[in-house]
Amino acid sequence: MGSLEEKVKLPSLDDWKELAKVQMKGRSVDDLVSQNGEGILVKPLYTENDIEGISFRDSLPGLPPYIRGTQATMYAGRPWTIRQYAGFSTAEASNAFYKKTLAGGGQGISVAFDLATHRGYDSDHPRVSGDVGKAGVAIDTVEDMKILFDQIPLDKISVSMTMNGAVLPILAGYIVAAEEQGVSRTDLSGTIQNDILKEFMVRNTYIYPPGPSMRIIGDIITYCSMEMPRFNTISISGYHMQEAGADAALELAYTLADGKEYIRTALKAGLGIDDFAPRLSFFWGIGMNFYMEIAKMRAARMLWHDIVDEFKPINPKSGILRTHCQTSGWSLTEQDPYNNVVRTTIEAMAAVFGGTQSLHTNALDEAIALPSEFAARIARNTQLILQEETSITDVVDPWGGSYMMESLTDQIASKALDLMEEIEAAGGMAKAIETGLPKLRIEEAAAKKQARIDRGEEVIVGVNKYTTTEQDEVDVLEIDNEQVRESQINRIKEIKAKRNQEALDGVLDDISNCAKSGTGNLLELTIEAMRLRATVGEVSDAMESVFGRYKAQTQTVTGVYGDAYQDDQGWMEIKTAIERFIEAEGRRPRMLVCKMGQDGHDRGAKVVATAFADVGFDVDLSPMFSTPEEVAKQAVENDVHIVGVSSLAGSHKSLVPQLITELKILDAKEVIVIVGGVIPKKDYQELFDYGVKCIFGPGTPIPKAAGEVLDIIADIHSF
Amino acid sequence: MKSERLTAIRSGNKRTLAKAITLLESSLDEHKEESRELVDEALAYSGKSLRIGITGVPGVGKSTFIEALGLHLLSDGFKVAVLAVDPSSPLTGGSILGDKTRMELLSREKSAFIRPSPTSGSLGGVAQKTRETILLCEAAGYNIVLIETVGVGQSEYHVSGMVDFFLVMMLPGGGDELQGLKKGILELADGMIINKCDGDTIQSANISKQQYISALGLLSQPEYWSTPVLTCSSFDKNDVVKVWNMISEYFDLVKNNGELENRRNKQNVDWMNALIKEVLIGRLNSSSEVRSLLVKLEGSVKNMEITPYAAASEVIHALDLS
Repeated sequence: MGSLEEKVKLPSLDDWKELAKVQMKGRSVDDLVSQNGEGILVKPLYTENDIEGISFRDSLPGLPPYIRGTQATMYAGRPWTIRQYAGFSTAEASNAFYKKTLAGGGQGISVAFDLATHRGYDSDHPRVSGDVGKAGVAIDTVEDMKILFDQIPLDKISVSMTMNGAVLPILAGYIVAAEEQGVSRTDLSGTIQNDILKEFMVRNTYIYPPGPSMRIIGDIITYCSMEMPRFNTISISGYHMQEAGADAALELAYTLADGKEYIRTALKAGLGIDDFAPRLSFFWGIGMNFYMEIAKMRAARMLWHDIVDEFKPINPKSGILRTHCQTSGWSLTEQDPYNNVVRTTIEAMAAVFGGTQSLHTNALDEAIALPSEFAARIARNTQLILQEETSITDVVDPWGGSYMMESLTDQIASKALDLMEEIEAAGGMAKAIETGLPKLRIEEAAAKKQARIDRGEEVIVGVNKYTTTEQDEVDVLEIDNEQVRESQINRIKEIKAKRNQEALDGVLDDISNCAKSGTGNLLELTIEAMRLRATVGEVSDAMESVFGRYKAQTQTVTGVYGDAYQDDQGWMEIKTAIERFIEAEGRRPRMLVCKMGQDGHDRGAKVVATAFADVGFDVDLSPMFSTPEEVAKQAVENDVHIVGVSSLAGSHKSLVPQLITELKILDAKEVIVIVGGVIPKKDYQELFDYGVKCIFGPGTPIPKAAGEVLDIIADIHSF
Repeated sequence: MKSERLTAIRSGNKRTLAKAITLLESSLDEHKEESRELVDEALAYSGKSLRIGITGVPGVGKSTFIEALGLHLLSDGFKVAVLAVDPSSPLTGGSILGDKTRMELLSREKSAFIRPSPTSGSLGGVAQKTRETILLCEAAGYNIVLIETVGVGQSEYHVSGMVDFFLVMMLPGGGDELQGLKKGILELADGMIINKCDGDTIQSANISKQQYISALGLLSQPEYWSTPVLTCSSFDKNDVVKVWNMISEYFDLVKNNGELENRRNKQNVDWMNALIKEVLIGRLNSSSEVRSLLVKLEGSVKNMEITPYAAASEVIHALDLS
């Protein structure tokens, strides 16, 4: 039987181009090619020509190089694990939430810790008074851990813990809590994030310098490969890079480069590749760039397989990239917040088409606060609907064979390879981090992206297009930070009074010595200390006394944001206004951009700093993790007109009023205080009452903010 | 009559000191006038600090070293002011001043005062005001003033002309670096350290040290002091103490032999000359007639309608009349 082609001569690509030109009224189809952050050109039409020479186009799922999935049958066999990240300030409240989640169809739990815990401080430490119970659960001792997992069978339910800095006392606390529940550590399953390298690039919840931090990771991998065969020792995370503004290629390349560095660390600690590689897992952020996200996940599996292959594994599982995904928090908006449900759904679909092993879908209010119960239910149901109401799960890698998808997969893979080569040339990621290059690359991408959004080139419905005047008040979860802190402090006191201090002191000394000598296993000793009711802070201090506490190297990009605005009229108007300001005031407007408390998310602060400097402000930066008292001192010494507080972790209600009080004490009450970041609408008035002049929520275009800030200063200086 | 402002500065009010520095740096005439009076009054209470300039290329670790040295000095009972003169200014005019992020621990201390100053674009000249800022810090009771400047451009020449001791920081490295170095900087140095000397770099730091010692030997140095070269890691307390001992040895010497006074007196002459220039240029700019004449004559000189010499006389003449 003759094929169709023989009978009918099919039209050619040139015929299509001609037709398209006619339909576009004479414009060339090349006008439709779009370029996004990755620098990859996306065309309006893909054909067989685009996948010519691509070697992997006929690969199969469950088989190398795993582009089409980690398993042969993927979701047709069993769908992904629904895993919702949550932490509700106290162990009791979190525990109640987990139990409800499990009863409602959740299949694993995921713990968010508060910032004080992340940074290795106990709840009674003076530097963290505003951070206890914020953005997650406060854990000081194993007693808190036991409450956290009360009535949750740890041999059956897998637990994912987002912990990187204070990874030793937290992992040890979990092991001891299980032990006292009667569950052996060999039966524990789950994941600890333990990805310290990305902390030095973004997020900043590290404690020790890179060298000692990698040693800790070596110890954990070693211990777990022998004692906890079902537990994933690292979740190598690109998510936070994407949240900090990295494009998909940067996220892919730097995450894989991190992974390679961890492999080297484990090998150096004396393990064989197959001892630990099967227990490494990954964590991607999934944003609104639908096709690219799917391509990223497919490319990641292929590249990882190649990377691991260099180390000659025997177990095929070593080279399989298994991943968790979370929909992008960055893509959520405060304006018109119900749109977030739609965004999250689309992102969840990309994660599923990309072949994720587990997924967290964000709650619609996550741009503003910790999720309320209502929002958390919708988020979970989004996944249940995808699993059970659609037939998406019936087909493995449904995008496989798409000319477009195979071509994008190939392109993003080669982009990532180039970036990874650069890191290798610097001597691997740990060395590259010391140069500050990866961090700067990400910040540059963030500034560019912000400029594209502020200029309306990237549309966000309800923010920079189709805005509505209607205000949807979303119910947000309120945390009484003072109360949480007090009860934690009381619990610490009780425990300290009852424990065997002498025995504990001995073990803490052992930890310091082990840190110093480089021999012995820090996790093994930490487990002993946690059994004896050591606090997270005590264990951290025992190591800090040897390792020191890492100080962030702050570098900033300049000119990147301003470049996008070179001939923008509004931008030029602000520049002119600044010239007028200088004529009247004798200097440029000067602003101190600060981060207070243990909130390490500095993308916003950095983008604001670089953009304000580009438009003509003098911008001072505060050290990360400052206290209100320290910020007031900096503001006074630098004699700034204005302090801009960047707050993303919900500590604004305690830290901002403290800052204003400290400024008054230093005779500087006329220094203007403004706040930017994640601030629930209902807190605005309270902050205004304290004296805050202006609040900028997520999605405020920076030129608008700069203009307003200038007006406020000018107003106060009356000209 | 002593102004209230000076009284507040002398009593240790940081707010007043910081605002006075802003006044010094201002581009407005009335602010300049006001600050000149203030500095003149403050002179009686100044001069008692050790003024130390610290320079080096970006990335040499100045801030980290200053933080370590500053903390050591505080523990010795000194009050420390740090003036960061950073001439890096983007084309846009604004600037990012991240100095305190690199001096996190020092910036927390009550007895430390850290002031980063922008020198952006049209404002310019902030580095010239550093001298006056030193005097105000002294009046406020700071007995060590550290001035941080980037070793590229002109600012290190200004700064070396207003300090008692000029410390040049270098990175460990081979001989190539020595050849690329501005010889001028070596001539300014009263002391030199090879920084970031830790771990892998110890050997190359020692090689650099020898190279710098022989390079310095070729320069003419005062009889009483030949510029020492030390290796240093800012993370090693002993190294920082070693550097401080070198600096205090210098001060003991020049305080006794009168060279400190000599140096400061010479600097005062430079200061006077700088002030005269500043006032004259200020007058050029403040008279709109002279300014428009200047603009006109610039055009004429460009078109070769008048010689530069004749044009200059014409401007000076107009200035005399204004």
